[in-house]
Amino acid sequence: MLTLPCPNCGAPVTFRSPALPNRVCDHCRSMLVRSDAGVGIAGQGAALPFDVSPIQIGTRGRFDGRAFEVIGRVRWSWDDGSWNEWLCLFEGGAHGWLGEAMGDFMMTFERPLAEVRSAELDRIARGAPALPGRKAEIDGEELAIADARQVSCIAAEGELPFTALPGWTIYSVDLKAASGRAASLQREGDEAWFYDGRYVTLAELSANNLRAIEGWTMPRYG
Amino acid sequence: MRTSIFLYGLWCLAIVGLFMVANTYAWSPFADGRQGPRGSGGGVIFVGGPNHK
Amino acid sequence: MADAAVAQPAAKALSCPNCGGTVTLRAAGYSVTVACEYCASILDVSQPEVRLVTRYNEKASRLAIPLGTRGTLDGTEWEVVGWMARDDSGYPWEEFLLFNPYHGYRWLIEQRGGWSFGEQLTRTPEGSWGGLKVDGESYKPFFADGTARVTDVVGEFYWRVKRGDTVRTDDWVRPGAMLSREADGKEVNWSRSRWVPAATIAAAFGVAAGGKPWPPLPHQPSPALPFVKGGIVIAILAFLALLVGASITGGGRSLWNGSIAIAADGRDQQATVGPIELTRPYQRVRVSADVPALSNGWVDLDYTLVDRKNQASYTASKAAERYTGRDSDGDWSEGDQTAGADFAALPAGTYDLVIDYKGNNWVDPNKSSGNFWDPGAGEQTPDWRRDAVQPQVNISVRSRGGAGGGVFVLMLILIVLPLGAGFLIHARFEGARRGESDFASGGDDG
Repeated sequence: MLTLPCPNCGAPVTFRSPALPNRVCDHCRSMLVRSDAGVGIAGQGAALPFDVSPIQIGTRGRFDGRAFEVIGRVRWSWDDGSWNEWLCLFEGGAHGWLGEAMGDFMMTFERPLAEVRSAELDRIARGAPALPGRKAEIDGEELAIADARQVSCIAAEGELPFTALPGWTIYSVDLKAASGRAASLQREGDEAWFYDGRYVTLAELSANNLRAIEGWTMPRYG
Repeated sequence: MRTSIFLYGLWCLAIVGLFMVANTYAWSPFADGRQGPRGSGGGVIFVGGPNHK
Repeated sequence: MADAAVAQPAAKALSCPNCGGTVTLRAAGYSVTVACEYCASILDVSQPEVRLVTRYNEKASRLAIPLGTRGTLDGTEWEVVGWMARDDSGYPWEEFLLFNPYHGYRWLIEQRGGWSFGEQLTRTPEGSWGGLKVDGESYKPFFADGTARVTDVVGEFYWRVKRGDTVRTDDWVRPGAMLSREADGKEVNWSRSRWVPAATIAAAFGVAAGGKPWPPLPHQPSPALPFVKGGIVIAILAFLALLVGASITGGGRSLWNGSIAIAADGRDQQATVGPIELTRPYQRVRVSADVPALSNGWVDLDYTLVDRKNQASYTASKAAERYTGRDSDGDWSEGDQTAGADFAALPAGTYDLVIDYKGNNWVDPNKSSGNFWDPGAGEQTPDWRRDAVQPQVNISVRSRGGAGGGVFVLMLILIVLPLGAGFLIHARFEGARRGESDFASGGDDG
């Protein structure tokens, strides 16, 4: 835990984990990066557009028996809409992403592509286009490519493992299995990242400290 | 739907009850015998019943 | 409370770039398309600035449940945020998009006055096209190769929607639920909708309860099936109770056997037989009469059972008659040489059986009896008077306990009758429901 003044506005900002070097200043929305030399400014973030997501920074829950807390978010957009990826910090320091799109939630964790060893994913990672409907076998389970598109970052908040500035554009491929398993491959230039997980519900996560939304009864889970 | 099953249960209960009562008193609507007037053994007045053509 | 933070506003107002009307965005952040509720124009709300996609200047359709209406189903509150009218070759239905920020989206589907509550599946059903399984529930194919077209749209949606959008549809059903597959060129979506009684929707969303859809909805559960299922159990229990009741009342017992003779002159006769001891508190008594010699004649028998103790009497009249002959069709005979009478509910006591009887036979005056040289003269008919035969009437008196088989069968019919009516209603419902299917000629189960 490290608390420093924001180099831009002076407001105190807290870095919780060395694995998460990025932080958006709550006050001035500067994208800050922590390094051995101190805290620098990587760019200027944007205000998050109004939405009625039930998740907020500070929402807590449990996934597969492990407690987590939401500490950051990136809002992505594509041609036909936008969605949130909430960064969840688990006990022990690991982190996962709680994706929120079209009212559904999925929890995914980054996995090295080399470990996944899927020919189809490797092809896409090397620059081939992903074709919806094509199959990829991962850990003996067949996943189908649901969609593939260019996505850009609209805004971000809280702590993050990378610098996500407005306008940052990557290629994103979603995969789904019959079992409810969900995965995605993200590619930027020569680099690719793979995230693997499954669909979840807020009830299943025993999510609490949800965002209060005017006129709606907040469910109590757990 | 629950009510109809309940009512049917009541109906069956009533039928079984009716049968038990009929059984106890050996009552049957299919019997030919009718209660006649009380009197001496002979000189009985007959009512109804089939006769020859 | 820890989370008693300032509540986030739930909706955002925006202005329709075509008509200027104030459109409420109820699922901000999710919604991509809004069909203006005043002019029906399609707006793109995926970007910060609202963009006009298709301009319409019509009065938007009036919805059975207006946008913004909230209703609670299964303890969760839902708000109507969108509405679509869809059609598959003249088979129209309406879909209301429901939203709750904590629970996401659901669908309220109205078809022919019947309602269903649907949700998108995040899993794909297992199994083949012949039968699918989700959450341990199996579904059978019902519609195949449909094309669902959006004919009208109002409100906000989380995808780009416009009139004329079509998807390929296939549907599977089980009682109470339907599984739908919708595919366009790019993606496949699976959803499950559960049938909801119209009264539930009427209570939750304030719509007028529609009439009963006929033919029924594909996944509408037969209203008579629970009755038939529960009724069969009750009927079996009732039948067993009847059996037990019938079996404890005991069998028959012979009380008296003997014969009385019929006088040759056909006069009224009376015979008193007895005593007949009735030992059960109550019993049925059967008096049987058999006239073996009866041929082309009749015997009237009037039975009176008289209780010696109080002279209470029970009467029954019977006739034995039997005629035989020969005509162009050959030999014929009709009637019966026996005559039995049943008495019921006789109290215990010592009884006399008084039999008033009279017999006669008929002899064809043109035919002599015992015509040995004319075999075609028919069977030999004894002339009681001339031949001085004295036909005997064999009388037997038996007692039985209980109400008897007739009452047993009557009660059984009364028990089965409502169940049969329920089954007929069920069969008619299922026939009409299955008749709508693309697989109507198929199986007969369900």
